[in-house]
Formats: sequence, C-alpha cells, structure tokens
Amino acid sequence: MEKVITRRILISEELNNQERFNAATSSLVSTTKEEMGGKFKIVFGIFAALSVMGILSLLIKIFQGFDDKSSWGYYSAIVSLLFGVFGTAPMVAIAPMIAKADWHRPIARIANMFTAAGLSSVIMIFPLIFALPPLVVGGYRRRSIWFDANIYTPHVFFGLAVVGLFLIGLGMLWVSSIPDLAAMRDHSTGRRQRFAKILSRGFVGTERQWISLRARIGMMSTFYFMFLIFVHILYSINFNLELVAGWKDAIYPMYHAMTGIQSGIATVMIAVYLIRKYYKLEDVIRIDQIWGLAKLMFAATIFWFYFFICAFMIFWYGKSEINVMTIKILVNGPYMWVFIGAFLLSFIVPWWIIIWNPVRKNPPMLVLVATITLIGCILDRIRLFVISWQVYGEDTIHLRYIPAEDIPDNMIMPTLLDGTLFVGFISLGIFMFLLMSRLLPIVSIWETHQSILLTKHIKFHRTEVYAVGKPD
Amino acid sequence: MSNLSILGLYDNPDSAADALDALHESGFDSNDFDVLTGTPYPEGAFGEHVPQHRLFRFPLFGAIMGLTLSVFLTTTTQIVYPLITGGKPILSIFAMLVIMYEMTMLSAVVTTVIGILFESRLPDISMNVYDTRITEGLIGVSLVCSTDKKDVAEKALKDAGAMEIKSSGK
Repeated sequence: MEKVITRRILISEELNNQERFNAATSSLVSTTKEEMGGKFKIVFGIFAALSVMGILSLLIKIFQGFDDKSSWGYYSAIVSLLFGVFGTAPMVAIAPMIAKADWHRPIARIANMFTAAGLSSVIMIFPLIFALPPLVVGGYRRRSIWFDANIYTPHVFFGLAVVGLFLIGLGMLWVSSIPDLAAMRDHSTGRRQRFAKILSRGFVGTERQWISLRARIGMMSTFYFMFLIFVHILYSINFNLELVAGWKDAIYPMYHAMTGIQSGIATVMIAVYLIRKYYKLEDVIRIDQIWGLAKLMFAATIFWFYFFICAFMIFWYGKSEINVMTIKILVNGPYMWVFIGAFLLSFIVPWWIIIWNPVRKNPPMLVLVATITLIGCILDRIRLFVISWQVYGEDTIHLRYIPAEDIPDNMIMPTLLDGTLFVGFISLGIFMFLLMSRLLPIVSIWETHQSILLTKHIKFHRTEVYAVGKPD
Repeated sequence: MSNLSILGLYDNPDSAADALDALHESGFDSNDFDVLTGTPYPEGAFGEHVPQHRLFRFPLFGAIMGLTLSVFLTTTTQIVYPLITGGKPILSIFAMLVIMYEMTMLSAVVTTVIGILFESRLPDISMNVYDTRITEGLIGVSLVCSTDKKDVAEKALKDAGAMEIKSSGK
C-alpha cells in the first residue's frame, strides 16, 4: 500500500521537485531489491534451468559435427531470430532518443537491458561460424562479398562483429546507467551498494559530467545502431544469401534488419507490459509510452510488407530462370505454407488489428499483436534460413542458379534438438534480462527526474496541456 | 596554506543560482566552484560556467586510428598474398570495405568509452565533500578554496539560502 502511495507521489503536482525526485528514487531503486515473493525466484529458476538445457543442447549439436550443412538451417534461423528479438530491442530506446522524443524515457532502460540478452546470440554464433563453408569450396572460390579475401575472413570478422555489438550494447547500458548507479551507491546497502560504487566511478553530477555523459549516450547509441545494421547485413548475406547459388537481392539485408527491428519492438512491448503490471509501475510507465510503442509497431508492420514487395516485384516481373528459382526457394517452394504463415502473422493479422485507434491504447491487445508478430517472425526466419542451408552443396554453390529439379520438394522439419536450442537460448536471453533487472533500476531514475523537471501541466487557453521543455 | 572543500546544499534552483552569483561577487573564479545535481539540469540553468568539451575528439581519433590500421591490414595482406579474382585489381576497395568499416567503428567505440572516463574525470579522486541527498534532488554548490577564504565562502553560500553547509580539509 505504501509503495502504491509512493508511486502516486510521482505524478503529484503539489509536491516540490525534491520530494518528487525523492519519491522517484526510492521507488525505482526498490525495483532492484523489492521482494517479488517466491514467484520471481521460481521464474528466475525456470529460465536458468532452461538456459542450462540450451547450453547442453549446443554441446550435443557441436558433437554432431559440421559436415551436414542442412542440419544447421534451424540453428541459423534461431540465431537470426535472436539478433532480432534481443539485438534490435535497444533500438526502441535509441531511435526516439535520436529524434529527441520525450515519451521513451520510462521505457528506455527496459529496451537497453536487452543488450545483455545478446549473450545468447554471442554464444550461439561461434559453432555456426564453424559450420559456415570457407570462401574456397571444392578448389574454387565461391561468390561472396569478401571477394579475394583469405578463405576464413568472414568467419573471423563476423565473430568479431558479434562480440563487438554485444560489448557496445553493454557499454551503452553502462553509460546510460551511471547516474542511477550513483543514486544506488547513495541509497542502497550491502552488495548492491558496492556494485554501484564500482560502476558509478565516483559520479557526483557536475556540469562537466552531465555534458559528457549525455553526449556519450548519444554517441554510443549511434554506434550501436550503425553496428547493429552492419551485423544484420553481414549475417543475412554470409549465412543466408551467399549459400544459395543465384540468389541476388540488394534489398534483402535491409529486409533482414527491418524485420529484426519489428521483432525487437514486439519484444519490448511484451516486456514493458509485464514489467508495468508486475512491478506496479502504471504511474511511471503510462499509456503514452504504450501508445508510442504501438505506433512504432504499426510502422514496422507496414515496413515488413514494403521491403518484401520491393524485392518480390523484381523477381516476379523479371521472370528469368534465376528469378523463378528465387521465388520458388523463398515463396512458393517447399516452404510455401511457412511463407503464408509468416505473411499472415508478420503483416496481415497484426496490421489489421493495430490499424484501429482504440487498440493502440489497449495494452493487452498490443501484447497479443506483439505475440502474433513474434510467431510470424519465427516462421519468416525458418522460410528464409532453413532452405538456404538445405540447398547448399559443394557442387551447387558454383552454379549460376539452382535448377528447378534440384530444389527439394519437402521442407526439413525441426528436430527435438532444434526445439531445445530454441527454447534454451531464448530463455538464456530472458534470464540475462531478469538478472540485469536485479542489478539496475528497471526504469531510469535520472531520466524520470529529468521528465519531472522538464514536464509541467499548464493551462493553455481554455484547456490544460503537458508542456515539455527540450533544452538540447 | 591548505585547501578546503566546501559544499552548500539547496532545495531550490533559484537559491543555488543566487549562491553562484554571491560567490562571483565575493571574488571567486568560476573555475573554483561547481554545481552538483542528481538530474541533468539544462546547461547554464544556474548561471554557471559551461565547460568547453572536446567530446568528439576521442571517437574521431579512434576512427582514424582504426581506419588506418584496417587499410594497412587489408593492403598488406593483399600485396603479400596476391590473388586475382574475377579480373579485378589486387587492391580492390570493395573487398576492403567491410573490414575497414568494422575496424573503424570498433576503434571509435573503444576510444569513446575511454573518453567518457577522461572527460567526466572518473574515477573522481578529488575527495571533495559530497552529500548523498544530491541524488534525491538537492542541489549542491561545491567549491575548493584556501582556508583563509573559508568564512567568505560560507557567508556567500549561507546568504543565498543554503539549507546546510559542509566542509572538509584537503
């Protein structure tokens, strides 16, 4: 009850700034230590156990060997999905920040915390790198964006890129948390205080520190965005497009990044809904934030179709044998039903639901849309990646295109191991997220303070409006 | 003569701004004092000296360093192991682009992180007096002065409406 009252204070206009800051600080610092009953521990334990299952599955997968390329299709689809749901989730914080939007502040930390979940893609990528064929296959150099580079160049530099993205993400999370760590240093005890003291590095909030910090957050965010797109481009080309002889598509890498962003927004939507509900943060994460996210989700849904149709039209009207092959591989071949599912669940269904204005302000409906979108994204990754590894062969890779008779009639079904890898590594990401939520306030304290400072309810002619100050 | 760190605590921004004016009038240089806040107030909100920053030098230096290294790496490997592919020249820029981009970015990021620590003067080893209530919304006006100016400084801070004044010898 006391907590509810404390949080009500956050929106009270009658208190002075210090009281409101104080209420916000104690309320948000408490999210790192408040007792969630046995429930949190049970959830934490379940995801930890599933993560262990994922790691064990990974070891089994490695022992099964790298020779049978077609068995790595689902694995590469899972990695692609992880780059989307966890890797692009921080974009929800980055894009509005670059656009100087104010609404994202209460959910920026939640989105940024998904950078820690990127550990799952870092772990999964290394076995896949070993499965990736070298640039010279059967004595001949295969077509690739690496041209005449050393035959293992993509392996080395892609591995470096994935680790780099993960570290940039952690750096971004740390930089944006320094003032909050300083608040934790000042207002918590024991291990949390020691942890905060080390990471806050003696931050005391001088003018110089604030100027430097805000600029660095902008820089790190921009670097993360630039590197994320780079990783998506490399992954979609090296582990997907280059494995299919004849598939040439300049739009596809951006399609991969954009659909990744779509799944990232959906992930943040679900996370925001659950955190808002179970931490009782309705007065901090308000309907404005949900609405803002819904609009992003709507835009991403339309982008799915835009990028798809741009590429598809070229193949459809091109009608060359290469184009016909590409359509068969991606659309109406063995994975046609998966494509139809992806088309419906990534575009048609979410678009039709979210197009209605009341839905965009209805959190449970938005969670439903986000869940549908994520299922659509899983199907989309399956239809794109599994067939690429299925049609790859040392003899076919050098052909101009894959003849129709060589395209398989049936899709590969996922094995139990694929299922445990999928569940295990999604769980590892969620486990990392939950772990971060114990270490850092789930909503940025200093950004909440800044909102209190720069936002005011004012009378405007004969109505009342929220005035937001934007000094920089 | 030893130095002293003094901190005045204020519960509203106007008083903190008045304190800065009073310190100016008492003959203190704007580099001697600083405003401590738990929230990023707009720059110059207290009429304080806004420090010039060199924020973009670090990533720029890192990016140039990374780009140079990557050009060196890709050029030398292609010259040492010359493989002609598709009739293209040995030093094909497109083959080098991916590596150049990646190394430039990573190097810029590393120097940005170093820049954060350097520009923010972190870790803070000044041992100036501090109060944990600053992260609750109080505004601190901190200054370092010689012991003979202690009374002048404290009077300026107090006259501006300080809730509390703390000091420590250095």
